[in-house]
Amino acid sequence: MFQSKKPASMNNNSNHNHERVVVPPMCVQGDSGLVLTTDPKPRLRWTVELHERFVDAVTQLGGPDKATPKTIMRVMGVKGLTLYHLKSHLQKFRLGKQPHKEFNDHSTAKDGERLALELQRNTASGSGIIGRSMNEMQMEVQRRLHEQLEVQRHLQLRIEAQGKYMQTILEKACQTLAGENMAAASATPGGGSSNNYNNKQGGGGGGGGVHLLPVDVKDFGSPLVNFPSIQDLNIYGGSDHDHDDQHHHHVQHNMDKSQLDDHGFHMMPNTSTHHHESTMNCPPPGKNKRPIPYGSTGASSTSTSITAAGKSPLMWSDDFRLQELATGGGSSSTLGSQDHHDHDPFKATDHHHHHMIQESSNFSPAEMFETKPVLSGDIHHHHEKKFDATSSSRLERPSPRRAPVSSDHHHLPHRIINPPPHLITTTNTTTTGSTAAMAQGRNSPFR
Amino acid sequence: MAMVVDQTVAELELSGYSTTTTTTTTIEDEHGCNWNDWSPMVDWDAISGSHDDFHDLIESMMDDNVALLHHDHHHHDAAAINSDTVVEGAETSSSDDSKGLRLVHLLMAAAEALTAANKSRDLARVILVRLKELVSPTNGSNMERLAARFTEALLGSLEGSAGGMHSKHMLTSSTDDYHRTDAVAAFQLLQDMSPYIKFGHFTANQAILEAVARDRRVHIVDYDIMEGIQWASLMQALVSRKDGPPAPHLRITAVKRGGGSGRRSSIGTVQETGRRLAAFAASIGQPFSFHQCRLDLEHEAFRPSALKLVRGEALLFNCMLHLPHFNHRAPESVASFLNGAKVMNPRIVTLVEEEVGPTGDRGFVNRFMDLLHHYSALYDSLEAGFPMQGRARALVERLFLSQRISGSLAGLYRSRVEEDSCSWGEWLAMEGFRPLSVSFANHCQAKLLLGLFNDGYRVEELGNNRLVLGWKSRRLLSASIWTNSDSDL
Repeated sequence: MFQSKKPASMNNNSNHNHERVVVPPMCVQGDSGLVLTTDPKPRLRWTVELHERFVDAVTQLGGPDKATPKTIMRVMGVKGLTLYHLKSHLQKFRLGKQPHKEFNDHSTAKDGERLALELQRNTASGSGIIGRSMNEMQMEVQRRLHEQLEVQRHLQLRIEAQGKYMQTILEKACQTLAGENMAAASATPGGGSSNNYNNKQGGGGGGGGVHLLPVDVKDFGSPLVNFPSIQDLNIYGGSDHDHDDQHHHHVQHNMDKSQLDDHGFHMMPNTSTHHHESTMNCPPPGKNKRPIPYGSTGASSTSTSITAAGKSPLMWSDDFRLQELATGGGSSSTLGSQDHHDHDPFKATDHHHHHMIQESSNFSPAEMFETKPVLSGDIHHHHEKKFDATSSSRLERPSPRRAPVSSDHHHLPHRIINPPPHLITTTNTTTTGSTAAMAQGRNSPFR
Repeated sequence: MAMVVDQTVAELELSGYSTTTTTTTTIEDEHGCNWNDWSPMVDWDAISGSHDDFHDLIESMMDDNVALLHHDHHHHDAAAINSDTVVEGAETSSSDDSKGLRLVHLLMAAAEALTAANKSRDLARVILVRLKELVSPTNGSNMERLAARFTEALLGSLEGSAGGMHSKHMLTSSTDDYHRTDAVAAFQLLQDMSPYIKFGHFTANQAILEAVARDRRVHIVDYDIMEGIQWASLMQALVSRKDGPPAPHLRITAVKRGGGSGRRSSIGTVQETGRRLAAFAASIGQPFSFHQCRLDLEHEAFRPSALKLVRGEALLFNCMLHLPHFNHRAPESVASFLNGAKVMNPRIVTLVEEEVGPTGDRGFVNRFMDLLHHYSALYDSLEAGFPMQGRARALVERLFLSQRISGSLAGLYRSRVEEDSCSWGEWLAMEGFRPLSVSFANHCQAKLLLGLFNDGYRVEELGNNRLVLGWKSRRLLSASIWTNSDSDL
């Protein structure tokens, strides 16, 4: 191959006109300067010059795959070149074969310097051709993949932002609704309120008016946690831990009901009715470890519907963290009552909270930290910092993530790329639109 | 039979029934079958006074309309609608199906009667009143609930064709606090169970982001800001953009409906939205300012002169229409806004609107059926979003979709005499706006977004500058990007 050729050795032919091509002994030169063999069927010698022009033309036309012999012929504008020549040359070019074995004999460089330049270029386009087109393809694929990942990451952040914004609306609405009896307690401004809400919720078991607001906020937000990425989460996180302790849900449920009944707060008709049902209907752990991510058939099977509605175990585990903060004082106080078949809409989150408590025995904070997915993007940090601005204090609770990826990765046929799990998880937590999500956003895995 | 041209088949069927009150499906041409011809023979006023006579007629339709399937393309529409319903509800019994189909036929008959001359408006009323007894907006299958909404809306059009009633209704329903918190909840539900809102917002925002990648000052004029949630994600993206100057100053001018007649959005006023946005911007470190720009009291017309511009800022127009929770806006008002865009020469115009069926020379009934089909798909998609949460869905239907439906129908009814409308995208193209192609990233984002929701959603790119969100085979919402300025982005 020519790239092994030293420039010096090519100086035997010098000062050739660009348009003129050397006539090798066995060749005749056409009037257009093309070098044709004396064969009955004249073959064209693809000199460096000619090939260079060819490559230029191809590049100009958008690459070997887009260029056609006809368009190349037009762009090159060399007399005597036929479609036949171009066709076969293009074919070879596409295949990455450098048809340049006569290069040594027919150097057309004007001088060494030029030759060297040409050599470089031809090296690039010559032996590298296979590599290059492959590379180009690969690069393109990689670029797209990368872009897609970027898009995905951005999408997560945008969804989070919307969730956070939605939270401010929810809080405002709840404050409005709460009216005067809440006035004292709800003095917390919207921005940094989630901490307070969390804390209040922690002590909220007593059911005083002061605590109702936070609870309401939670309940208001959390049943809506339907954001679908949870469905994916579901896949990543596995669901083996979420079906136990149903009675605790109900207990909690009942407790909340007692809090809320007199409050008359029924904005959210039955999201949690659903939750409730789902808890009731979940198969025991182990039987169905991996709910179907999408309940495409609608309302048929219970476990399917659950996931279709976007309710997934992982989300609970996020809430659980919240509950952990909440010290659970209130919840244990009402554990006695078991009247839980009332489908009250507002119990959902608290089911989960309680649930989370149960889980907390399985996951020490340290473990949680360890299982936290590694976050790659610095945007995350950035983003997080920004969001931090709202809160006066940071919650120190770790995020109770499960091991980031399970083997279920490949169960996501609808995803072009299996996203890194942390992307999904992050989204989930914030888009829950609940205070839990907010807390998560602040102290999630970035420290 | 020349005079029958406008009268469509269901009406003919009706007359067929009324002559025989049997189940025959033959259309008796010899009757002439035009209500105007008919009315001398039947005392319509008397009959509509005592609806009972009609109940038999209508019941017979309910029983037998299935047999009429083959009569013309209306019925194919109806069948399509019904099949959409069927797909979703695995446990929908076949009786539900046929009931849905009958409801569709009744609705169609009512629509046809409604558009005919005065006398048949009475007939329409009779049919609608009966329909109202048959279905409830909160119970039954998708089709039944939808039929109830359409019935309400048609009745509204019928009674309020002089004007006021519809807006009065909206005014009363949007003022009480209970409603408002409900609205917040329903809004959140809608966001979580369907991709419509996020799709519209994110696609527009991505286009905006790409258009202002290097700008230090960005000014967005937003036609219908609603609760402002669209801009939260934009701010986040602006704050975290890597290349280009960090966090440009963002100015949003919300176009505000004039009059202050209480026609605020279901979720708070524009002022509240502004405060909320400002608080949010502050919380993430996004330089931000908020302005309002009042529409004219009359016709809600947009005056470009009401905009305050700052030299050197990138101006963008954002026009969100037809998102499921949005109020119906008068076409004249939208047109004035987009015309304003033409004058102001913004860098891009982002438009989100509903996808309606093929436009062209179609009568009221065809468009009515198209609307029914449209909302039927919407209902189905929402049901798939959370199948077991009928009450939550009902909340969304009651607070948002019913208003959208009545708004759409009222608009349709009012404009039934005018020439056919086109989509706003087509309108922009006719006005000389150039389409701007949707970037790979944008398309990719939409796909990823939909991947997070139910399987039935799909996105397709049309005309290079339009991303269309669809449910199953039905296109529902499109986001398109336009420019009027000559400079390439």
